[in-house]
Amino acid sequence: MKIRNYWNLRDFGASTWENASRPVRVAIALISIVLVGLLPFMGGSILATPIASFDAVLVYPVGMFVLMSLGLNIVVGKSGMLDLGYVAFFAIGAYTMAILGTTTGLNTWEIMPIGIAFAMTAGVLLGIPTLRLRGDYLAIVTLGFGEIVRLVVLNSSWSKGPNGIANIPMPPNLGPLKFELENQKVFFWVVMAMIMLTIWMIRRLTVRRPGRAWEAIRQDEDAAELMGVPTLKYKIWSFTLGAAVGGAAGVLYASKNLYIAPEMFTLNVSILILACVVFGGIGNIWGVVVGATILGYLPDRIRFISDARLLVFGLVLVIVMNFRPDGLLPRKKREKAIVKKGANA
Amino acid sequence: MAKIGKTLLKLDNVTMKFGGVTALNGVNLEVKEGEILALIGPNGAGKTTVFNVITGVYKQTSGIVDFDGTSLGSQKRYQVTGLGVARTFQNIRLWGDMTALENVITATDVHKKSGLVGALFGLPRARREEVENRARAMEILRFIGIDEYSDRLAKNLPYGVQRRLEIARALGTSPKLVLLDEPAAGFNPAEKVELAATIKKVRDAGYTVLLIEHDMSLIMGISDRVVVLDFGTKIADDIPSVVQNDPRVIEAYLGVPADAS
Repeated sequence: MKIRNYWNLRDFGASTWENASRPVRVAIALISIVLVGLLPFMGGSILATPIASFDAVLVYPVGMFVLMSLGLNIVVGKSGMLDLGYVAFFAIGAYTMAILGTTTGLNTWEIMPIGIAFAMTAGVLLGIPTLRLRGDYLAIVTLGFGEIVRLVVLNSSWSKGPNGIANIPMPPNLGPLKFELENQKVFFWVVMAMIMLTIWMIRRLTVRRPGRAWEAIRQDEDAAELMGVPTLKYKIWSFTLGAAVGGAAGVLYASKNLYIAPEMFTLNVSILILACVVFGGIGNIWGVVVGATILGYLPDRIRFISDARLLVFGLVLVIVMNFRPDGLLPRKKREKAIVKKGANA
Repeated sequence: MAKIGKTLLKLDNVTMKFGGVTALNGVNLEVKEGEILALIGPNGAGKTTVFNVITGVYKQTSGIVDFDGTSLGSQKRYQVTGLGVARTFQNIRLWGDMTALENVITATDVHKKSGLVGALFGLPRARREEVENRARAMEILRFIGIDEYSDRLAKNLPYGVQRRLEIARALGTSPKLVLLDEPAAGFNPAEKVELAATIKKVRDAGYTVLLIEHDMSLIMGISDRVVVLDFGTKIADDIPSVVQNDPRVIEAYLGVPADAS
């Protein structure tokens, strides 16, 4: 009998999941969802964040960071393209919500698909000319794109320039679930649902053809192309899906914050989201979720030390990356096919 | 011996220049269906350049590359593979973090129609193709004789198995023509004998093989025809026993004797 290494959380989790029968898996999934769903009620416990309200912190930054990190992970982790302008898609989603929400009668749920469509369109338009580039060159171009989007909204009259857009409507109530500023539990559940949808999407794609194509591109793009993988097409898909998730996050963010301005969409956001991905474990969904949760939550948890908190934040990053250079939960390197038997995933 | 058929690949007066360097100078080459054609020549003769021109890595400066009635000049690399040309690499270029089986499955995807939407929603065609691909890939690993390694990561495989996996991956694309770039590099004599048997088996299964190799005993043993390149020019094209005794070939490999000049 093999001795399990309980300290290796990734392999422990993966093997537990694989050895579990279907009912057990469903039970694990349901219990986890309920537990995470109950998080906003933990505001009185040790988890509480001083100054900021706990359920607000769970929505932004924690939930939003997780969502955006998962989106960026499709691009950076799955297909190996370094994107430093991810905030652009977040901004496009947010400004779509802000402008349509304040000028038309459309509500958040009606604007959501429009915002996603705009972000995806931007992804395709940016992707077609630039995704022929690789590595550092792609990073610079995407960085430029992120800055261009910010400068455009900063200097345009339709986006109200540096003043930003105020009075963005909240989402309409979902039956008995009311969206309120003071009580953001419902926002949290919406973010949670979006996160679960994103995870479902990534997992579906990973075990099938697109996942293999991305993996091949990440490891050796020329070999992939010569083995018949239409690399540009799959890179654009990857970029566009990442953009869609970023756009969706942006729409919800604008509708939650009620006010947006260009200064919210700086390069810093792109870098921070990238840090979440790398910190958690580039390419591993659960690593990214954990990484983004910690990096989103920590600064608010230690807000009582005010000025020193960014120092602590930086120290944590440096120390963890030193001891776990591949992130908290690194990408799986087990000797097991990612293709499921019968592929009835 | 398999039956040699019609011309499958034809290079007509192909020239490839890199700046001032002429890597290929008016090369004519014909590969016929069902044969094993060996491409040999001293280092720097342009052998790998021929492969790169055929597979679309380089665009030839002039000349025509015709594969089974289609001009390869304007095709993208993955389209060339889709038409039925697959290759291996001189330096192993497997996807190291994928298992052996996944490497081959990824190659089998080339002829499949289902894409992202099918994968996302688990449409019937996508699911059926996953099952087909998996079965086909396993079959190929068995054919090449490395199925016991199917669940091992490619980078952890023994060197010889990696070389064979490269061939398996190329076959995964269901090619008509397989280009093997020094498949025996780094092999000991016993492994070379085994590889020769594998290459023959590949040909007998209906694939056409174009082979770059340095090992003369391997080439003389399995090839139906040998083409010799030297400084980008074809200097011989005949059956192995004739090429072996061609004075120009001997000269290209050994240099001209001092007293003959």
